[in-house]
Amino acid sequence: MNANHTPAMKFFVLVWIGLLCMAGIEVFITYQGFSTHTQLAMLLVLALIEAGIGLLYFMHLKYDRPVLLWTFVLSIVFVLLMMNQIWPDAYRMVSIGHH
Amino acid sequence: MSESAAAISHGLGATIEPSPYGMQSKKLTMWLFIASDAITFGAILFAYSYLRVGSANWSRPFQFSPSIANALVMTGVLLTSGLTMLFAVSAAKQGQKPTSLKWMGATILLGVVFAALHLREWFHMFSEGWSLSKNPTGGSVMFGATFFSITGLHLLHVISGVLALIVVSIGFQTKWLDENHVETTGLYWHFVDLVWMFVFPLLYLMNASPR
Repeated sequence: MNANHTPAMKFFVLVWIGLLCMAGIEVFITYQGFSTHTQLAMLLVLALIEAGIGLLYFMHLKYDRPVLLWTFVLSIVFVLLMMNQIWPDAYRMVSIGHH
Repeated sequence: MSESAAAISHGLGATIEPSPYGMQSKKLTMWLFIASDAITFGAILFAYSYLRVGSANWSRPFQFSPSIANALVMTGVLLTSGLTMLFAVSAAKQGQKPTSLKWMGATILLGVVFAALHLREWFHMFSEGWSLSKNPTGGSVMFGATFFSITGLHLLHVISGVLALIVVSIGFQTKWLDENHVETTGLYWHFVDLVWMFVFPLLYLMNASPR
């Protein structure tokens, strides 16, 4: 990290306030009576935005060399995407449970 | 003289080259650890989600008060600790050691508060009959297994982070460690914060009982 390229601390306080607000919005969404799938989708989108902000600003990825972002974050995202193979079996499990 | 220039002057230029990431090895090592730990947490959150989707009788036991409200306060405490850690790293980089130590102390305190709130919640659940293999509501017993495993692993990371911050604070004060160690520890602390951003919605909010 090069401290000369980072914004003033006031900016990070604003980021922190934004993250707190997003946590509050997540709780608000939870009690709006959405279906489980809609609730999950909305909460995951918010969690991904929060994580992205955390990575870019709190973990300073925005101010490090871009190669760090591309190698580490993309490889993790790739692995997590590959884990999505499990869902058909999860739905098979629940169909067995209902029978 | 830089490490690479010294290596070249000793005829080792062909074997040592600058890091493509432009950072010290300790910071790169922390990033490698974070990458592997992110996949670990990703895997257990996927396992939890698999069991949740695959269970016909999954429980949603968390009332707004005390569970969700408590988890929201824990989220606020952890996010605030991320900010204080940011201040600590910034002050350390600017050579303001006393200020950096003060902010690291605040981060440690917030980490302890988070752990205390978490343990208080756990003991409340134990008193209601929850455990790794028991569900007092009659639903899937996998709820307790996954909830305590994932939050337990995260809590272990928080406690480890608090201990690491105590060691780094002492080391930084006694000049045994420098500002780069503070930055590397800060990276770990922010990662613990980041993981909670997924644990909170997936384990708490998705298991909140309707009002």
